[in-house]
Amino acid sequence: MRMFKRGNRTNGEMCFDWVNNILMFCICFITLYPIWYILVNSFNEGADAMLGGIFWWPREFTTENYAAVFANKGLMTSFGITVLRTLIGTVTNVFFTAMVAYPLSKEHLMGRKFYIIMGTITMFFSGGLIPSFLLYKNLDILNKFIVYILPSLFNFFNLIIFVNFFREIPKALEESASIDGANDIVIFLKVILPLSKPVLATIALFTGVYHWNDYFAGVIFIQDASLEPIQTFLYRIVAESGSNQMVAAATNVVKSTTSLSIKLATMVITTFPIVCVYPFLQKYFVKGMLIGAVKE
Amino acid sequence: MTKSSKKNWRQKLWSQKYLQLMVWPGIIWMFIFNYIPMTGIVIAFKDYKITRSIWEADWVGFEHFIEFFTDPKFTNIMTNTLGISLLKLIIGFPLPIIFAILLNEVKNATYKKSIQTISYLPHFISWVVLGGLLITWLSETGMINEVLVNFGILDKPIAFLADPNYFWGVALISDTWKELGWSAIIYLAAISGIDQQMYEAAAIDGATKMQKIWHITVPAIKGTIAVMFILAVANMLNSNFDQIFLLGNVLNADASQVIDTYVYEMGVGAGRYSYATAIGLFKSVIAMILLLIANFTTKKLQGRSLF
Amino acid sequence: MKKRLFLIGLLSSMALLGGCSSDEEAKTELPPPTHTVSADVPGWTVNNSPTELDWYIHFSWFTTPWGEDMVSQKITEETGVDINFIVPAGNEAEKLNTMIAGDTLPDILTLGWWEGQIPEIIDAGMVYALDELAEMYDPYFFEVADDAREGWYTHTDGHLYQYPNSSYSPADYEKYDNISANPTFLVRKDMYEALGSPDMSTPEGFLDALTRAKEMFPEVNGQPLIPFGTHEFTSAGNMSLDLFLQNFLAIPFEKDGKLYDRTTDPDYIEWLKTINQAWRDGLIANDVFIDARSQMEEKQAQGRYFAMLYQRTDFAAQQQILYANDPDTVYVAIDGPKNSAGDDHTLPGVGIQGWTVTLISKNCEDPERAIQLLTYFMSEHGQKRIKLGIEGETYDNIDGKYVTKPEVTELKMSDRVGYDRKYGADDTFWMMQDLPMQLQWTEPTQPPLAQMEEWGYPYTIFASQYDGLTPPIGSDEETIALKISTLWGETLPELIRAETEAEFDQIFADFVAEREELGFAQLVEFQQSKVDSNKAKLGIE
Repeated sequence: MRMFKRGNRTNGEMCFDWVNNILMFCICFITLYPIWYILVNSFNEGADAMLGGIFWWPREFTTENYAAVFANKGLMTSFGITVLRTLIGTVTNVFFTAMVAYPLSKEHLMGRKFYIIMGTITMFFSGGLIPSFLLYKNLDILNKFIVYILPSLFNFFNLIIFVNFFREIPKALEESASIDGANDIVIFLKVILPLSKPVLATIALFTGVYHWNDYFAGVIFIQDASLEPIQTFLYRIVAESGSNQMVAAATNVVKSTTSLSIKLATMVITTFPIVCVYPFLQKYFVKGMLIGAVKE
Repeated sequence: MTKSSKKNWRQKLWSQKYLQLMVWPGIIWMFIFNYIPMTGIVIAFKDYKITRSIWEADWVGFEHFIEFFTDPKFTNIMTNTLGISLLKLIIGFPLPIIFAILLNEVKNATYKKSIQTISYLPHFISWVVLGGLLITWLSETGMINEVLVNFGILDKPIAFLADPNYFWGVALISDTWKELGWSAIIYLAAISGIDQQMYEAAAIDGATKMQKIWHITVPAIKGTIAVMFILAVANMLNSNFDQIFLLGNVLNADASQVIDTYVYEMGVGAGRYSYATAIGLFKSVIAMILLLIANFTTKKLQGRSLF
Repeated sequence: MKKRLFLIGLLSSMALLGGCSSDEEAKTELPPPTHTVSADVPGWTVNNSPTELDWYIHFSWFTTPWGEDMVSQKITEETGVDINFIVPAGNEAEKLNTMIAGDTLPDILTLGWWEGQIPEIIDAGMVYALDELAEMYDPYFFEVADDAREGWYTHTDGHLYQYPNSSYSPADYEKYDNISANPTFLVRKDMYEALGSPDMSTPEGFLDALTRAKEMFPEVNGQPLIPFGTHEFTSAGNMSLDLFLQNFLAIPFEKDGKLYDRTTDPDYIEWLKTINQAWRDGLIANDVFIDARSQMEEKQAQGRYFAMLYQRTDFAAQQQILYANDPDTVYVAIDGPKNSAGDDHTLPGVGIQGWTVTLISKNCEDPERAIQLLTYFMSEHGQKRIKLGIEGETYDNIDGKYVTKPEVTELKMSDRVGYDRKYGADDTFWMMQDLPMQLQWTEPTQPPLAQMEEWGYPYTIFASQYDGLTPPIGSDEETIALKISTLWGETLPELIRAETEAEFDQIFADFVAEREELGFAQLVEFQQSKVDSNKAKLGIE
C-alpha cells in the first residue's frame, strides 16, 4: 500500500516535470523565434531583406547594417553617457528609495500615514511635461548631466515594493542589533541592506532598465549632442517619421529612409548590453538569501 | 493636550529621530519634484497657451471635462479602454505568476536560468519596431496565419488586424508575449526568499508537488501578488499607448480607440495641453478611487494591503 | 504652521514654474553692429571670426550633423559660424512646445510654414524681425531677399519674421516649365504593357484594367498581387483618395470667387463610388487599409502593386531597388482618374509658401551673425555652395557649365546618407534652399526617377492661394476643422467598404449632415477670408 502510493507520487511528479519542461520549452521557442527573426534580418542586406521571406537564416549575409549604425560619430560618447547615467542613476535611486522605505515599513513611525498618502498621490497625479520643464529650468539643471539623475532619484512604486519586503524581515534581527547599541541608520546599513539582496537586485534591474531605455529625457531636457544618451541617438533611426505630406509635396529633398534591417540592427545594439546584465543579477533570485541569513 | 502627553509625543519623536531623518529627504524630494509641478494641473481648468505663463491663462472651469464627456466617442473609448485592461487583468495578470511558479519547479539549474533569461528578452523590443513586424506577421499572408493554417488550427487565413473582433485578443496576446518573463521577475524574486527547508520538510511529510506549490509557494508570494494586483487595478484607465497606436488602423478603429490614443489625436501634437491635462486628471481621479477600492477589498479578503 | 508651509509651497511653486511671462517681453535694445555695415557688401565677408550658433530643425528625420562633410566645413570656414543642429527625436511638437513654454528657443529655428506655433511665437515677441536685424547689421540681406517671398511673409505689423525655402512665385511658374508636382498615378511597367497599355482615366477603364491585371498576374513572387494601392489611411482620411484624387479630377478650388466644396463634387463622388466598386470586386486588399508606411515600402520594393496613387518622392528608394533588380518591373506614371469631361489633371506644385521657414529667436545672443548667416545662404554664392558644392572637389566648370564629378553622382545615387556625410552638396542642408534659383544648375534626373518627374510637368499648377487655410491654434475654427477631419477619417473607409451603392449614398449623406452640425459653414467662412487675403497678397484675382 505504502509502496504503491510512493510509486504513484513519483510517477506523478515525473509526469509533472515532463509536462512542465515541455511547456517551458514551448514558451522559450515562442519567445526566442521573433528575436531570432530580428537578428537574422539585421544581418541581411537591407534592400534584399525588403523582399521578405527571410525566416531562418540570412539570405545575403552582411555586417553592413551594424557598420552603418556604428558609423555615426558621437555614438561612443552617447554610449558612455548612457552607461554613466545607468550606473549612477541606479545606485542612487536604489539606495535613496530603500533608505526612505525602511522607516516607512515601521508601523510605529510618527506621521507614517501622512507620508504614505503624500507618496501615493504622486503615483497618480502629475502636472505633465511643461511644469516639470519649467521647474528644471528654474533649478538650472536643464542641459546638464544631473537632469538624468535628480528627477529620477526616487520612485514611490519601488518604495512600496521595498516596504513590503522589509516588513517580512524578522524583528528579532533588528532588536538584537539595537540591544548592541546600533541606531536605526546603522541597523539599516548593516542589518537590513545585506538581507535584502533579492529585492535590491529586482529594483536595481527595474531602475537600470529604465535608465538604459529612457530616450525622452535626452530629447526634451538636453540640447547638447554630446550629452545625449544612446537611446535618444538611436531612437531617431528607429522611429518612423510621420506621414509628411508637406515635406514631399514641396521639394527635391530625398528623405533618406532607413531600411528595416538597419532599424533592427540598431535595436540589437541598444539591447545587447543591458540584456547581458541580467545573468549577473540572476544569482540573487536563485536561492533564499533571506532565510539563510536568519539561520546563521 | 496634557503636559505629559505632549512630553510623550516629543519623547517618541526623539526616539525615532534617525528614522525621521531617513524619511525626510524623500519627503523633500517629493515636494520639489512631484508637488511643485503638480500645481500645473490647474491648466485643466484654464485655457493654457504655451506662449503665456500658467498663471496668466484664463479660467474656463469644467469646459474641457464637459467636452470630453459629451464627445460622441466617449462611450466607445471607455469601453475599449476598460475592455482591454480587464482582459489584461483577468488573463494577463495571473500568467506571469503561474510562469514564475512553474519555472521554479524546473529541476535543471542551467535550463532554468536559460529560460528565465530568454523569457525576459522580448521586453526590450521597442514597440516602434515590434508594431511594424506584427503588422506584417499578422496579415493574411503573414507568418502567423501560415503556421496556424499548416497546423490545422485555422481553415483559412484571418486578417487579424482588419477585424475589430480580434483586436482585443491581439492586444492581449502580444502584450502577454512581450511582458510575460519581465513581469515574472518580481514573483521570482519573492519565491527566491522561500526557505528551501520548508519544501524538504513537506516532502518528508509526503506532500505532492501541487500541495507544495499551493501550501508553500503561493502563500509566500501572496503579499507581492496583492500589491501588484492593487496597482494593476489602479492602472486600468491607462493603455499601452505605443502598442494600441501602432496596431490600430481604420478598420479596427471601433475596437482600438482608447483614451490615450484619443488624447493624442485630439491634439497633444496641436498643443491642446489644457484638454490633455483635463483628461489626465480625470484618469488620475478614477485611478485613485480604484486603488482605494482594491486596497480595501484585498485588506478585507486577505488581511493584506498596499502599505 | 501648516498654513505657513502651504503658503511657502504655493509661492515657491509659482516662482519655480514661472515661464516666459509678460514682464520678459520688454523689448531688448539691439547692440550696435561690430563692423561697418554696407548695403553692397555681404556682412559675412567682413565679420567672420569663429562663433557658434544653435539651429533647431523641426524634422526628426534630419540626422545629418554639421561639420563632417566638405560643404558644411567650407561654410564654417567662409562665415566663421559653426552650427550645432538641434533635432528632436520622435514627436517634434513636444520638443518645440516645451522650448516655447520654457522660453529656451535656440538661436535659429527652421520649421514647416504650416506649423501653428509660428504665429504664436511671433505674436508673443519671441523672435526678431528679420528686416530690423538686416537694417542694423546686414542691409545686403535686402539685396538677396526675393520680393514676392518677402511680400507674402510680411506680418500684419509690417515686419518680416520668417523667410521660406523652396518657394516658387507665380512668376516662376510662368518662367519655368520644368516644375513638377509630387502626386503620380503609377502602374507597374511590365504588367501594364502586357495588358496592352489601356486607358485608365475613366471609371470603366480603371476597373477593367485592375480586374484584368488581377486575372493575369494573380501572384507576385508567390504573394497575391495588390491591384490598387494608396497612401496610408490616417485619422484624417487618406491623401491619395481625397486631396490627390480631387486634384487628378481637376475639381476647381473655387467657383465665382467662392470656395468650392470639393468633397461633394459629383465627379469626385462618382470616383469614390468607382473605388467602392473596386473594393466590392475584391480589387482593394485589406492591406491597403492596414499597412503603415514601412509595410507599403516593403511591398513596393517587391513590386506587389499593380497601380498606385502615390507621391513620387516617397517612392524613389523603392523604384531604385526595382530598377536594380529588373528594369522592366519599375513603375511608370500614366494619366490617372479624370473627370467626366476628360479635363487635364491640375496638380498644385510648391507655391509661394515654399516648404520651411526660418526664424531667429530673441534668445539668440548674437543676432548679428545669425542674420549674416541667413544672407550668406540666400545669396547666389551660398546657393551654389549648398547645391553644387565646392569647385574642383564635387563639380568642375567645363566651358561655363557646371558638371558634377561622376564619382560624386555615383555615391549620391547609391548611398545618399554616405553622400551627405562626405560631400554634403545637392541640398543636404536644405534649410535655405532656393529651388527656382537652383534650376539653372539642375542636372537631368536619373533614369528610373526621371519619367515620374517629367510626367508631371504639364499638369503642375500654381495654387498657393488655397494653401494654408488651417485656422490658428486655440480658435473655434481649429476645433471644428479637427473634428471634421476626424469625421472624414472615419467616413472615408466606410464609404469605400460600403456593401451597396445605397449604403454608400446613406453614409455620404450622413457625413454631409454631421459636418454641417459640427460648424462647417463657420469653417468655410474663415477659409474664404483667408483665401481672399492670400489673393490680395499675391495680387491675383
